[in-house]
Amino acid sequence: MKKVVMYTLSTCPWCMRAKKFFREHDIPFEYTDYDKADDNTKKAIREDCLAHKSEMSFPFVKIDDDVVVGYNPDKYAKLLGL
Amino acid sequence: MKQEDNWIFALKTDDLGNGEKKPLLLENNKVLVLRIDGDFFAMSNKCPHMECPLSKGTLEQYVIKCPCHDWRFDVREGKFLDAEEIRVPIYETKVMEESVFVNLNMEGAGK
Amino acid sequence: MDNEKRKGQLRTMFSKVVDPLGYKFSPDEELVDFLLEQEVNIEKEKGSPFCPCQGLTGEREHDMKLVCPCIPFHREHYDAMRRCWCGLYVHKDVKDPDSLPQISLKEFLEAKK
Ligand code: SF4
Ligand code: FES
Repeated sequence: MKKVVMYTLSTCPWCMRAKKFFREHDIPFEYTDYDKADDNTKKAIREDCLAHKSEMSFPFVKIDDDVVVGYNPDKYAKLLGL
Repeated sequence: MKQEDNWIFALKTDDLGNGEKKPLLLENNKVLVLRIDGDFFAMSNKCPHMECPLSKGTLEQYVIKCPCHDWRFDVREGKFLDAEEIRVPIYETKVMEESVFVNLNMEGAGK
Repeated sequence: MDNEKRKGQLRTMFSKVVDPLGYKFSPDEELVDFLLEQEVNIEKEKGSPFCPCQGLTGEREHDMKLVCPCIPFHREHYDAMRRCWCGLYVHKDVKDPDSLPQISLKEFLEAKK
């Protein structure tokens, strides 16, 4: 099973839809709400986004080594082989 | 339709030094009068973003920066530097006998 | 001030800002209401209605470009999507906002090349 890790905001509707997508497909995932995180976590998230040449636009979804920025169910499905 | 001119006394030329600005209430319009390189300019004092008073912002040459979220406008045409379609309404000015007048009926001027 | 009232005020002010840029509020009323509610809460907490879908860094120059509507600072990218990142605003001719996907900045820049 591929590992799914997500950076999200507690205020972002597309983050909620992304979470819902993985839940509905019974795919376990970890997530961190950037706006609720402590300063060190925030910094780490920011660096991770920058390392992937991305602005901090959420949701930021990592599926193993692949990154999808934004709510894009087709891409999630493809990367997961659904 | 071209409206009638409506020249209103704003202030004395001595009231403003170069690079200075002053908010005024002219016939219920919040107007910001500025003096740059000897010329007088007048514009609405309300930022088109969220209506913050531009009079509290910073002026650098012809560019005024809103104190609230740093949107920058050219005081000559009122254009927002990052999207010219957005403008602060501007008013025509003229100086007569050491007095500055503002034409409140300029096209594009709003309340 | 209660949230409903402030939401109405933001709606009035922001529609005047986005209109000359070719945008309107999304026809997805539920989404619009949800996002405005978030912005009102963010404004209460942080002083400005920052974007509910993009991260702040604490640096003024960066964060001020994420006060809603942030369209002027992301114009080309949003024009390509025909919506803003959150989807609060869409191009005026958009009737079915659900058909507009989010395209990351990176993908947008690559497609442009
Ligand atoms: S992405 Fe949309 S909702 Fe978010 S700040 Fe920009 S214009 Fe506003
Ligand atoms: S109110 Fe002027 S920049 Fe926001």
